[in-house]
Amino acid sequence: MTVFSLIIINKAGGLIYQREFQPGLRKLSTNDYLVLAGTFHGVHAITRSITPKLPVAAATTTASTPTSSNVPSTPGTPTPITPASTHSFPNPGVPATGLESLETDKFRLTCFQTLTGTKFLLFTDPMMTSIDTVISKIYELYSDYVMKNPFYQLEMPVRCEAFDRHLMGWLRGRT
Amino acid sequence: MTQPRHSAMLSISNTNPIPIANDKQQPPSTQIQNLASTGLRVPSNRKTIYDRHLNRTRNAELSRAGFAFLFAEMVTYAQRRVTGIQDLERRLNEQGYPLGLRLLDLLYYRTMSSSTSSSLSSSSTSAAPPNRPLRILPLLHLIHGPLWRLLFNRPADALEHSVSPDTPNEYMITDNDPLVNTYISVPKEMSMLNCAAFVAGIIEGVCDGCGFEAKVTAHNQPTEMWPGRTVFLVRFGESVMEREKVLERAGVK
Amino acid sequence: MSLPPAECIYKRRWVPRPSSITGKSSRPNSETSTTANALPPVLGQSARTTDDDAKLIFGTVFSLRNMVRKLGGEDDSFVTYRTSQYKLHYYETPTNIKFVMLTDTKSPSMRVALQQIYINLYVEYVVKNPLSPVEHPGGVGVNNELFEESLEQFVTRVLS
Repeated sequence: MTVFSLIIINKAGGLIYQREFQPGLRKLSTNDYLVLAGTFHGVHAITRSITPKLPVAAATTTASTPTSSNVPSTPGTPTPITPASTHSFPNPGVPATGLESLETDKFRLTCFQTLTGTKFLLFTDPMMTSIDTVISKIYELYSDYVMKNPFYQLEMPVRCEAFDRHLMGWLRGRT
Repeated sequence: MTQPRHSAMLSISNTNPIPIANDKQQPPSTQIQNLASTGLRVPSNRKTIYDRHLNRTRNAELSRAGFAFLFAEMVTYAQRRVTGIQDLERRLNEQGYPLGLRLLDLLYYRTMSSSTSSSLSSSSTSAAPPNRPLRILPLLHLIHGPLWRLLFNRPADALEHSVSPDTPNEYMITDNDPLVNTYISVPKEMSMLNCAAFVAGIIEGVCDGCGFEAKVTAHNQPTEMWPGRTVFLVRFGESVMEREKVLERAGVK
Repeated sequence: MSLPPAECIYKRRWVPRPSSITGKSSRPNSETSTTANALPPVLGQSARTTDDDAKLIFGTVFSLRNMVRKLGGEDDSFVTYRTSQYKLHYYETPTNIKFVMLTDTKSPSMRVALQQIYINLYVEYVVKNPLSPVEHPGGVGVNNELFEESLEQFVTRVLS
């Protein structure tokens, strides 16, 4: 079980935290990490907007299809099916999200977006399991040691020694 | 014209409710409803917080997150327009000081009733309740044990006397992991700061309330195992040290 | 940063059979696209936005591929990503043709399938076709009957 590194992106797409835990990925300059965070922020939004839409089965809308098919579907509508729409998402009932997990030959990137818009990007070994546990622990530590710290300014880079300490300690304890 | 607040107090203190608020006679129940509508909440069975036993909430727990957020805001508030770290610590100290003074009564009350292990009514005949501390050591033990348990649910980790002959008036109380600092990371440029100055203020308030003039400060003394280890330095005033000598000669414990 | 000229040269869409009652079909709902020099595919929105979708998918894939190379090294390649709604599979040939397939989230890795589409179908019926141009502006040459038919067979028989 290998966790390579963690990146936190604020809701505006700015990089607020970057830490390497184990070697495995190439090191980038601070500027490159900033660019990467911004790029990912944009790509994440696009991956959500290109969610395929399936035409609603003709049988159920026999009468209404001809009329409603001329109505352009609203791009970016977050909820899958509204009675008037002619399309549904592949997994109806599940809100469309952006990229959640990306695999390459060498690593897996898991993206967890909080309800407040902050994104946690965790880079791990592609074989690693139980990533959800790691992510939720990181979120917990973030809520505790970053958000409860009176010296942390919202949306600004995270420089909280207690957060680092507990994060490192917890990850070390798992290996 | 009587103010509603007045009549509310009457009803709380169990006096026969005299509905003066409007010059009509009303049965007691209506009176209470009337009060409720003015925004003051009085339970129908007249059990207010003042009627509760003080020991009832002694083991009650508070939300740690709630406290953490409140304390974070207190630190942020104290940080406004400060001139430096010392100024900030002074403000935190000042926030804790009145708390120490006020806390003292509850502390005495609970130490007393727990040491006699019975309710107030039966304590008259049992072992004499402990007096308030007259000498320095009993005071420090009161802080190290009961006060720490009241505030943090555990005793402090160490109590030491300064070994230097120049400073016999200095005592140190150590907390390995102060609750107030649990979630706080002090920025590097303020590395001297310790937000437990707030707790130092509470200790100072308790000392002053007991009649021991003292200055209390909080200092970082991290160890590998306890990165948040904090030492509270208690410096008693000269008058206290002189009295201490007199009491020692008189054999007062 | 300038993008190399990219064009979507082929896209095709499969939808679940109308007979499947709910939208949750177990058969892969796939969209494949082949692109020369960069690529993009398809998407199921109204015709008006299909071309935009192709551009968006190209942009996404291009950005992700660069990001992956930056972090994992030049020899690393991005294989797939997943959202709550779909999975995007990616295969890039040594000649920089990019194959992208979108499936439902339950589908297994399509890397081998995309490779087969490239080797067995694209190379066979497009590259080896003497009538096919070297470049494929607007998809000329990819849109031939043999390729389309065998792709249809491959997807419906082999992948489903």
